[in-house]
Amino acid sequence: MDTSAMTKQELKEYKKQLKREEAIRKIKSQEKTPFLMRLRYKYLTMYFAKKVLWSLFRFVLLVGISYIVLFPYISKVASSFMSKEDFTNVKVLLIAMNPTLDTYEAIISDNKYFEALFNSTILSLLCAISQTLICAIVGYGFAKFKFRFKKLLFVCVILTMIVPHETIQLSLFMKFRYFDIWGIYGGIQHLIENLGAIFSHPEGVSAGYEVLENAFVDVGVSDPGFFKVLFSHPTTVHSMGNMLNSYWPFAILSLTGLAIKNGLFIYIMRQYFNGVPDELEEAAYVDGAGTIKTFGKIILPMALPMMVTIFMFSFSWQWSDTFYTSLFFTNQKTAILLPNIVNIPSSLDTDFVAKETYEAAIRNTCGIMILIPLVVIYMFAQRTLIEGVERSGITG
Amino acid sequence: MKNEIAIDAKNTAPKTKVSRKEKRRSRSLDVQKSRMGWLFVAPFLIGFLLIYLPMIVESIRFSFGEISIQPGGGYVLLDAGWSNYSYALSTDPQFTTTLIGSLTDLAFDVPAIVIFSLFMAVLLNQKMRGRAIFRAIFFIPVIVSTGIIESIDNANITAQNMEQMAGGGGSDLEGANSGAQILSVMDLTSLFRGMQIGAGIVEYVVSLVNNVYNIVNKSGVQMLIFLAGLQSISPAIYESCHIDGASSWETFWKITFPMISPMILVNTIYTVIDSFTSQSNRMMAYLNTLNESSSLKNADVITTAMSWMYFLVVILVLAIVAGVFSAYVFYQRKDV
Repeated sequence: MDTSAMTKQELKEYKKQLKREEAIRKIKSQEKTPFLMRLRYKYLTMYFAKKVLWSLFRFVLLVGISYIVLFPYISKVASSFMSKEDFTNVKVLLIAMNPTLDTYEAIISDNKYFEALFNSTILSLLCAISQTLICAIVGYGFAKFKFRFKKLLFVCVILTMIVPHETIQLSLFMKFRYFDIWGIYGGIQHLIENLGAIFSHPEGVSAGYEVLENAFVDVGVSDPGFFKVLFSHPTTVHSMGNMLNSYWPFAILSLTGLAIKNGLFIYIMRQYFNGVPDELEEAAYVDGAGTIKTFGKIILPMALPMMVTIFMFSFSWQWSDTFYTSLFFTNQKTAILLPNIVNIPSSLDTDFVAKETYEAAIRNTCGIMILIPLVVIYMFAQRTLIEGVERSGITG
Repeated sequence: MKNEIAIDAKNTAPKTKVSRKEKRRSRSLDVQKSRMGWLFVAPFLIGFLLIYLPMIVESIRFSFGEISIQPGGGYVLLDAGWSNYSYALSTDPQFTTTLIGSLTDLAFDVPAIVIFSLFMAVLLNQKMRGRAIFRAIFFIPVIVSTGIIESIDNANITAQNMEQMAGGGGSDLEGANSGAQILSVMDLTSLFRGMQIGAGIVEYVVSLVNNVYNIVNKSGVQMLIFLAGLQSISPAIYESCHIDGASSWETFWKITFPMISPMILVNTIYTVIDSFTSQSNRMMAYLNTLNESSSLKNADVITTAMSWMYFLVVILVLAIVAGVFSAYVFYQRKDV
């Protein structure tokens, strides 16, 4: 054929090429290990076994702990659908045999659920929004500015975190029952009263003095001097008004960063702003923005994930708070809030064998109904919440 | 500083005009900035000075006094000296025991919570399928298990206890909240007996397992703080460790642990504060019952005095914890 027609040179080259091709084929075939072999190399190693075992172990552990977290809620939800017969039935553990919605209906109608829901929503929203803003502002102030007494002031923030509620419970109550600022209003009132007593008395100043003296002896101060009378610290406290049973205490505490765990929020915000590079603000300043404009237009939008976190915390803690609500809302008729709905509805007859269990289930149902809105919000916000905290870069 | 400026002005008369002007301008910028700082912290400052500080002062005064509400409005504070304090310490049957009890609770709970939350944070920080779901589940207690739910649980437990005291049989459903139903205590105890380690440790572990629900519930925020800390460790460090052939065990102890140690301090302090101020705390519960019971005269001022003593103990514990821990904390950047 062609080969014969080729010259010797060409033939040599042709053979070379054949050889080369064969060599390549050989190498290729060597490289291609059989499928089973490859599987063995990939999956039958210590490394892979370790990885699988570890992830299996991890998965089981996580599922187990998730179970611990979720089980109380599952059991509460399950028992909320049970009817009266189910509580006496031994066979029923979690899933009701005669599921009813009686408990829910009774709570909604008897315990004024929707009214409480409405009130609580407004209160928690107002508190959460104002707290988020205020804590962001204060945190920014602590993070980015240098001024005297900054450290001392920050110690004060920590102090508000450390002091237990109970310690100031009484003075919180007294503060808003007889609201006053440093006793100034009361002092003025006292002064006016004293002067009024002195000058309005028909027999003149000296008689007025006597009246006052008697008054003070009554209170327990003996022989006060004239000036002491005028300027003494009042033993009877006058006040600007009773703020209980209104939203005022919450508004005042929220707007001054003193409400539930606001010290923690300020701390978190400060840590977050500490991590924001100064160059960002400097660029804004160079472009002619003032401090407040920079804060409003650049810093706040950037801190949004963090603020969502704070918002979630303050909203949910305010939502389920019992301490402040029971302290400030002494009269449930004026404003019924969610914590107040936890009691046994009168339309449900609980007086039978499994009374305790049934009542506990009713209380738990109340709890579930309080939590439902929170859980819905949490589902939407949880990603932002967790990412926000992760990004905060909280350091010691 | 002032001397220097004065000397400067004497020596080089023409030059100083410019430099002084510059100095003044720069100083005024500083002043301006510090003023803005005051403006930003003003809400807290005002609140602290006008609301909080008077409350603290008043609370201290209350603890030394006796309140009587006047019929015409207002109240009178009578001086009672140290009587409230001496009542709490010597007359009240339960105060000191409750105080010691809550301290021992603390000593047991805090290490457990911190270690558990660190462990969980490390676990949740790894890349795996379903991580988002697990995270979402673990942070449910942060949002949900506060205030009202806690008090409902407490109410249920009290009701159940009363029932049992009255002789009625408790039901299984209530036990769902305690860890006893989740893990059988008896098995665990016998397991540890078999291992022949000290009885104290066995008891501690068993009590932890019984409390596992509480511990998980209380470690939500701590987990978040640890997660934030873990995220802030640069992955480059782990990479170089891996290349150098360190196992993950070594990496944890040599890299993760020191880098996270400031967070351990923060979390320990946070846990101490949190469990001291939470309503499920033994002391807080006792104070609440005292406040609500009508048998004790002047319960309000006495509880205030008690909680002040309690607060002092808290501060003492915090100072000791912070002092001991900060000696071992590693800071990557010394300036922070």
